Amino acid sequence: MSVFRQEYRAYEGRVTPRWSRIGVLVRYGLAEAWSSRVTVGLFTLAMLPALVDLVAIYLANNPLARMMVSSGKSFPLTIDATFFLRVLSAQCWLALVLNAWVAPRLVSFDLADNALPIVLSHPVSRFGYVLGKFLSLFAILSLVTWVPCLLLFAYQAYTSPQGWLSANVQIGFGLIVGSLSWIALVAMIGLALSSWVKWRMVATGVVFAAVFVPAGVGGVITGILRTRWGFLLNVPVMMTEVWQRLLGAPTVMKDETDLPTGAIAAILAAAVAICIAMLNARIRALEVVRG
Amino acid sequence: MGVIELDGLQVRLGGKPVLNGLTGQLRGNAIGLLGPNGAGKSTLINTLLGFHTPCAGAARVFGLDSRSERVQIRERIGYMPENDSFIGNMSGVRFVRYMAELAGLPPAVALEHAHEALFFVGLGEVRYRKISTYSLGMKQLIKLAQALAHGPRLLILDEPTNGLDPMARQRMIHTLREIRKTGSIRLLISSHLLRDIDEICDEVLILKQGRIAAISNIEQERRSHRNFIEIETTGETATFCDALRALGCECASFRGGRLKLVMPDSIDVRELYVAAGEHGVEIRGIHRRRDSLEDIFLRAMDMDPARGEFVRI
Repeated sequence: MSVFRQEYRAYEGRVTPRWSRIGVLVRYGLAEAWSSRVTVGLFTLAMLPALVDLVAIYLANNPLARMMVSSGKSFPLTIDATFFLRVLSAQCWLALVLNAWVAPRLVSFDLADNALPIVLSHPVSRFGYVLGKFLSLFAILSLVTWVPCLLLFAYQAYTSPQGWLSANVQIGFGLIVGSLSWIALVAMIGLALSSWVKWRMVATGVVFAAVFVPAGVGGVITGILRTRWGFLLNVPVMMTEVWQRLLGAPTVMKDETDLPTGAIAAILAAAVAICIAMLNARIRALEVVRG
Repeated sequence: MGVIELDGLQVRLGGKPVLNGLTGQLRGNAIGLLGPNGAGKSTLINTLLGFHTPCAGAARVFGLDSRSERVQIRERIGYMPENDSFIGNMSGVRFVRYMAELAGLPPAVALEHAHEALFFVGLGEVRYRKISTYSLGMKQLIKLAQALAHGPRLLILDEPTNGLDPMARQRMIHTLREIRKTGSIRLLISSHLLRDIDEICDEVLILKQGRIAAISNIEQERRSHRNFIEIETTGETATFCDALRALGCECASFRGGRLKLVMPDSIDVRELYVAAGEHGVEIRGIHRRRDSLEDIFLRAMDMDPARGEFVRI
């Protein structure tokens, strides 16, 4: 049929299932994110530590290579929970950088030109819209967090002597759960803040600020009131505690930062709840002014 | 089944009643929604789209309830909002395809329809340009293209000629008339410009203070006034009037040689000239008068819908 056809008729062909419309949002979200060279650059940067870790695992498990590198001395690297805690931490913080860049691209463009009335006039709910954007972010952040971490874990299990895998299953579990909880937190923060800040670059800055400014405030509270509860505002400290417990790694923090798991879970849940409330207030086809 | 059915529809926004017990049925191919600013036109459209929930009563589109079946309604409509609404970072064709896919078209079909819709509205040549670089008129047209691309059964247009220069406005009116001509897509057009509605619509709903001030079938109105004629004459009109009555016309004479006639369908205007010649009367002007939309609108504005007064024609 020619594109020059000068008449228009109601479409009566096959339509896609309703649930698949979220897939459309995911697909266009991914395309939007990867259309930026900065995204590609940040992704490449985020994969570099994983490559270094891959080499480290190779060296640690290959006697010949270990001998050549260490020239007869004992090889200093052990592949254990502490090693994977370092891997997970590095990947997750790089994921935050990627998230701060990508999340505003997914939401701010729609809000800047007031696209929501048109988007939501289609058979897509507000929940479906947010879910679609979240899944786009989830896919991108997965590529730099649990996917490389799990690949490294699988490689270590493959190259290490028999019995290593069964003795360290908790590490694999911890890598997945730790990454997923981090992705959920930072993706929600990214989407919520991007929905309130129209300017992309500012939104990127605000995402970082939302993670690090409360940490400073928490530090001040801890210092003045001499209480460990101030660390509940310190996302880096809290997440390190969470990852450490999930992987079963020995404590790397000072004793005073030892926070109850329930308190950490409650704070993280509260942060996600605030993000949902912010999205609920902002992701609307129309804004009703109360008067 | 009507296109739109309103059954005691009440909508409150921010605690204030905006739509107050609207009841009526609209069946036209092109329905105009008229009213002064703040009358509730956009609120009615947003309620039909499911953006606002009625606090009482119901609104139905093709028999589907706007509260409980909003997804099904949205599958059948295309919406062109009043204000700027697009993704400026996307090219025209990508944006229209995206919206068509959200409406349920498979990707390849959506792309084909996006190209068609863009050519149809006159944006074919600029379809690969980013929307942020479009002029105001083009931005209006891209909104129309995305509303059309998935082939909806009802096209809802909120102030489609807003901010357009006369040429662009005429092009938009022409496009909408073309769409109307196809007959497979119904139109609901909200506007405060009577001329736009008059040129496109065959039925009109006039709102005032959140109530229905008039529902009118403009087509019928036009037909009923087809033979209402005013004549300016010089000479003796009394015998001429008698002659016209003898022909079957209803005739009333006024000062200055003005006559008002209602002619039966069987009489041709030429016969008026013949009768005038026979009775020594010169016809200096003939005006076919029709009750314009403006008359209907002004009458509706004189009514007080709060007291149950409204114009139904």
